[in-house]
Amino acid sequence: MAARSGLAGDRSKRYEKIEFLGEGQFATVYKARDVEDDNRIVAVKKIKLGHRSEAKDGVNRTALREIKLLQELKHENIIGLLDVFGHKSNISLVFDFMDTDLEVIIKDNSLVLKPGDVKAYMIMTLKGLEYLHTHWILHRDMKPNNLLIDTNGVLKIGDFGLAKFYGSPNRVYTHQVVTRWYRCPELLFGARIYGVGVDMWALGCILAELLLRLPFLPGESDLDQLTRIFQTLGTVTEEQWPGMTLLPDYIEFKKFPGTMLSDIFTAATDDLLELIAALLCINPMKRYTATQALKMEYFSKKPGPTVGRELPMPGVPAAVLKEQQHTRAATKRKQPDDSGRLAKKLVF
Amino acid sequence: MEMLDDQACPRCKSTKFRNPALKLLVNVCGHTLCENCVEVLFVRGSGACPSCNTPLRRNQFRVQEFEDAYVEKEVDIRKRILKEFNRQEDEFTSLQEYNDYLEEVETIIFNLTNEIDMEATKKKVELYRKKNKESIMKNRSKQSSDQAYLEALIQEEKEKEEEKRQQLQFLERQTKSQKKRDKEALIDELIYSDMPAARVIASHTANVETQEAPVFKLPKKMTLATGIKVGLGYQDTFLPVPKQEVVVYQYEEEHYETYGPTAPTTEEIDTQRYNRHVRPASPQGEAGGYGHNLACLRALQEAFSGLLFFPLIHGKKEEASVMETS
Repeated sequence: MAARSGLAGDRSKRYEKIEFLGEGQFATVYKARDVEDDNRIVAVKKIKLGHRSEAKDGVNRTALREIKLLQELKHENIIGLLDVFGHKSNISLVFDFMDTDLEVIIKDNSLVLKPGDVKAYMIMTLKGLEYLHTHWILHRDMKPNNLLIDTNGVLKIGDFGLAKFYGSPNRVYTHQVVTRWYRCPELLFGARIYGVGVDMWALGCILAELLLRLPFLPGESDLDQLTRIFQTLGTVTEEQWPGMTLLPDYIEFKKFPGTMLSDIFTAATDDLLELIAALLCINPMKRYTATQALKMEYFSKKPGPTVGRELPMPGVPAAVLKEQQHTRAATKRKQPDDSGRLAKKLVF
Repeated sequence: MEMLDDQACPRCKSTKFRNPALKLLVNVCGHTLCENCVEVLFVRGSGACPSCNTPLRRNQFRVQEFEDAYVEKEVDIRKRILKEFNRQEDEFTSLQEYNDYLEEVETIIFNLTNEIDMEATKKKVELYRKKNKESIMKNRSKQSSDQAYLEALIQEEKEKEEEKRQQLQFLERQTKSQKKRDKEALIDELIYSDMPAARVIASHTANVETQEAPVFKLPKKMTLATGIKVGLGYQDTFLPVPKQEVVVYQYEEEHYETYGPTAPTTEEIDTQRYNRHVRPASPQGEAGGYGHNLACLRALQEAFSGLLFFPLIHGKKEEASVMETS
């Protein structure tokens, strides 16, 4: 408490840098040790000042968003912002240290995701999202890379750089949010007023990716993204999605019949397919909210969610994995998701 | 109809529908030709594929096994590659290594089938062949674990069949002798009983109906002289899945602390028409997934929040909880 209120103290000395973890568009992240809190391991995110045009406005906008929102949020499945401090002209955010993220787990094909594991990840993500949405916050950048996982297998939603309050009748938002592969049809059609559907759609894509172990709708451009969505799920009509034609960037699409979800996710149970269909509903008004989704049969049925410690953990550091991924780019075949720990040989 | 039309020779265009005797042959390139065309084109024993110009030999033509030429090609390549890449699981120190090896084999097959990096892949195969000449020969003479597994499966199937047959035979014999005994008993009773015949027959039929079906007991399992233990040898390689206590998830309401009276729920907003005080959502908004009930709910929550907040009480409580945690 005392450290938090004492803004004057030089807190850059409180955190001892251990190693460099990664670099993003807006920040560099270090692993550090909190000297004043029993040498607890934390992640320090040092915001880059960016080039001059941004710097003249002061602190980076995404950093401000992240700080302001996270200061008020406290939930098991939301990344905890422990401290914020300024040093010279920099600003640094101190977070819980997270070992890995869902993207690493999905891409590591030495790991096997059991049905219970997928359920556990979904429950944790949905709980985090439900908390955010009941507190009138949209995350707007849901993707496996932003679902962080700690040593105990607890999943926390991270990166609030694009998060924003929602539910205001007259505020207009930008539609250029969410990484393209996880962007929902209303955003692709340029909707400026939207709701929780944007996060729920992304979650549907993440669930599909957990099952397929490959990005579900990897569009190469915004148009290609829409084409893929309709090709996979079928083109909708004005009756199924009222007001669709009024959206700013609406374009008419060829009538695609769509593929049966059970043909895409051949190993999925019926209740799981129901959940996928509810999350990937093209009409955002009919798309399930986090609360509705959590009440679905899939979650209350067996098998129960895997307990945190037994969830799979990648043995290989993320950097090594990236390199492997590179050499394997030629093989774009789908990996079966629950084949057990067996040799992958085909027996003829 | 369509199925028959689908199977057509690309050169002479004759189809299975028009010529039921049509026999489609396929060569290494994966393109099909009918028997007649092969005869005409490959009189000299070799020539180019009319579809892709790959030089082909006549004696390499085979009857097409799969309707999809792509599958046919893949299976063919797989057969060829697996002849050389025949290392077995016990040659590797870890499962990971073995899986990597299999992955590589699959990549080679995939590349060859889809004509990705043909030259490099071919070179790779050639190099592997040269390098592992001896071990390939050695492995060919060995029976692979897959074969053993298949044999075990066949054995198991046979045993099951035998068991079923025995069971049926046993049942048949039992019911036959039972019927015979029943009949004899009835005649005996009719001879010696003082009761009227009708009643004797009635009680007898009732008796027969209550009889239980004979139960078949399995003969004791024997170890086979060949030493094959059915369903065991291979099963051992499965890793045991640890059984764990499963706790099924139950939904718990997310509590939103407002320090005020509880705001109306989403249903109440609709039924009690709270939402008529909010500007209705535009059609564009609706299409984007924004409903005016959302704005209404948020406004109500914001209006109510903090109404019952008294810094003195809550502040103290908060401090107390902070003390506890620290």
